[in-house]
Amino acid sequence: MADHSKRTMTLNLTDGEMRVLEQLSAQKDLSKTAVIRQAIRLYQLVDARLTRGEKLFFEDDKKAKSELMVL
Amino acid sequence: MRIPVGIIDVSTGEPVQAELFDDVTIEDFLETQRDWRPVVLEAAQQLTRAGGRQAIVPRHFHWDWTRKEGDLRMLVNRFYGIRREDILQGLAKFMTAGQVCRLSGQAGKPLVYVDYLEVAPWNIKPLMGALGKPHRFAGVGTRLIEIAVRLSVEEGFKGRLGLHSLPTSEPFYINTCAMTPVGPDATKQNLLWCEFTPGQADGFLRR
Repeated sequence: MADHSKRTMTLNLTDGEMRVLEQLSAQKDLSKTAVIRQAIRLYQLVDARLTRGEKLFFEDDKKAKSELMVL
Repeated sequence: MRIPVGIIDVSTGEPVQAELFDDVTIEDFLETQRDWRPVVLEAAQQLTRAGGRQAIVPRHFHWDWTRKEGDLRMLVNRFYGIRREDILQGLAKFMTAGQVCRLSGQAGKPLVYVDYLEVAPWNIKPLMGALGKPHRFAGVGTRLIEIAVRLSVEEGFKGRLGLHSLPTSEPFYINTCAMTPVGPDATKQNLLWCEFTPGQADGFLRR
């Protein structure tokens, strides 16, 4: 599991997706590649926990919780 | 990855070579349960019996690395170990997503989160002191923090690092590593949240 060699791929994004990627890249002080890699890791983490039957919630400042459904 | 790293043999005060590796497996977790945990428990019992020094009783005596077997398959997690004389001397689990900086000036930015870091009990001076023995190697924890900082740089996080410190480990992170103690985290048993800025991380690597 510790093979961290990297492979290259071409990613086709819409203008809107690229705009969001650039915004996140600027906000998080990360390269666009790093943002995509973060997204993949979080998606895998969330998916694994949902598959185990766990639920994902967001809580607002009034402590109201809403469940996030992930496809 | 397997690379040589320097740690200190306390009996001679001389640096010796150990091996840092990232292909951690369940076998390494089992080794901690078999070889580390009995020593930690014995030392904790001695310290508790001695009384009056509760603050140094280790809070990680219940840790069970074997429960993290599933974590080995998740991209978000990175495990590292250090071996010397074919004996596991330290083990760490870092997360490269899921936590962000809290320190003013870098709040919300990504960091490497030190989820678990444990040094073999025979390398912890207070524990061995409780058992009337000298500790064996120094610098194992520092080497593991160093690899966490290098991972943060490699990931594009510029050395930013964060962790929740156990009370017994606060002097190590604040004084030895020179991390900033940000404050207790009510969502994590009030453990102290500590953080490295890029500047602090760079200073740590240059020492």
